[in-house]
Amino acid sequence: MLESQLWQGMRQRDRRSLARLITRASRGLGIETIRRLGPPEKPARVFAITGSGGVGKSTLIGKLIPQFRERGRTVAVLACDPESPLTGGALLGDRFRMGAPLDDGVYIRSLAACSGRQAIADHLDAVIRLCEEFGFDRIIVETVGAGQGDTAVRAWADLVVLLLQPETGDELQWEKAGVLEIADLMVIHKADLPGADRVAQQVRSALEVAGGPVVPVLLVSSRTGQGIPELATALETLPSRSRRGDDRSAFLVDAQQMLIHRLQHPAATELLAKWRSGRIDIQEALRRLLEETSVSAQ
Amino acid sequence: MSHEPIRVVLAKVGLDGHDRGIKVVARALRDAGCHVIYAGLWQTVESVVRTVADEDADWLGLSILSGAHMTLVPQVMEALRQAGLEHVGVMVGGIIPEPDIPKLVNLGVSRVFGPGTPMHEIVEFVKSRRSAAHA
Ligand SMILES: Nc1nc2c(ncn2[C@@H]2O[C@H](COP(=O)(O)OP(=O)(O)OP(=O)(O)O)[C@@H](O)[C@H]2O)c(=O)[nH]1
Ligand SMILES: [Mg+2]
Repeated sequence: MLESQLWQGMRQRDRRSLARLITRASRGLGIETIRRLGPPEKPARVFAITGSGGVGKSTLIGKLIPQFRERGRTVAVLACDPESPLTGGALLGDRFRMGAPLDDGVYIRSLAACSGRQAIADHLDAVIRLCEEFGFDRIIVETVGAGQGDTAVRAWADLVVLLLQPETGDELQWEKAGVLEIADLMVIHKADLPGADRVAQQVRSALEVAGGPVVPVLLVSSRTGQGIPELATALETLPSRSRRGDDRSAFLVDAQQMLIHRLQHPAATELLAKWRSGRIDIQEALRRLLEETSVSAQ
Repeated sequence: MSHEPIRVVLAKVGLDGHDRGIKVVARALRDAGCHVIYAGLWQTVESVVRTVADEDADWLGLSILSGAHMTLVPQVMEALRQAGLEHVGVMVGGIIPEPDIPKLVNLGVSRVFGPGTPMHEIVEFVKSRRSAAHA
């Protein structure tokens, strides 16, 4: 179908046209047209749900959907799962976990994210813009997992929700990775399991030590329903980070992309080997990494 | 050039809770570079058609072990037509008696795969038909 017909379909609220335009955008096609749309008539609130694999992101999103619907909001979900860098294939299983309802006010779309590169699908900003143009009030993005790519999501989300769960050694992970900095809202998920209170305590004190803005910490269980309405209320009421003007996160995204790129440089491998064998110290290794892998050095 | 993976929705019908077969197919298609949306146990004809539409699928694969294929498949084909999704290819897998296969093909099913079908056969079929449709 022609692109103009798809845009015609969008205006008539034809879901197939939306779906097709999303496929195209995720492949980098038609991006210019989307950029030219300008600011949306009715901006959506965009939430990013992040956290390591298996923490319950999809299940929780499935529980949040009816909460938004009860509040009269339409919802689009963009669920990212990893794509194999070798084959380009992907198993997209989030939708199944969400128990997708048959409701015209809900759109769920599975997208593949190039694994090893980032936690969200390519051109996600354009895909979000399409959902906004279609008229969805709330857009929920499920990321692949907490970690390196997560700063990317900050650029597009009004609120970033980080999920942690008890008893997985997650505690250590988040302290190391500094992932607390990403979140506007912390959810201790699977609160039906033992140890949830302890994790909540740890997170609260870690946040206190870190200073910075106040980040709510909520205990939530998708299994029992504990904390779900409270989470929905928090998502509806917390002030948005000003996503489109957030040049700090845009900077972080670019810096991160640049570093990922540079780490693939042969000089980076050499420096790593030198550092591991003790021939240079870490400060020197980092300094030389920036020097020897710069564009001019390549 | 951006790559354009084939999008396949896999859904299973019936309450026998036996989803090993469909998961093996899902992995084989993934390893062949497809984007596979596992829709799980399908509740209603409407919900499977909604998934196909929203996910912009090129293929729908139905696993039917319950013996209800002659009632379910016509309903699915009709619902796809009504939703304007006749371009989506439909494959049926499961235990389908030989005489029913031509009937399903007559309804518009592209291919029926029996229980022992080698995975590469399914993969090759999906890939060849996609290129034919886009030629
Ligand atoms: N005990 C308990 N288990 C849960 C809860 N929510 C989800 N689970 C289980 O956690 C597992 C993972 O859930 P998912 O929703 O698939 O997790 P995810 O974070 O989306 O996983 P990925 O997309 O693979 O990163 C499933 O087996 C769920 O049944 C909960 O509130 N309590
Ligand atoms: Mg998930």
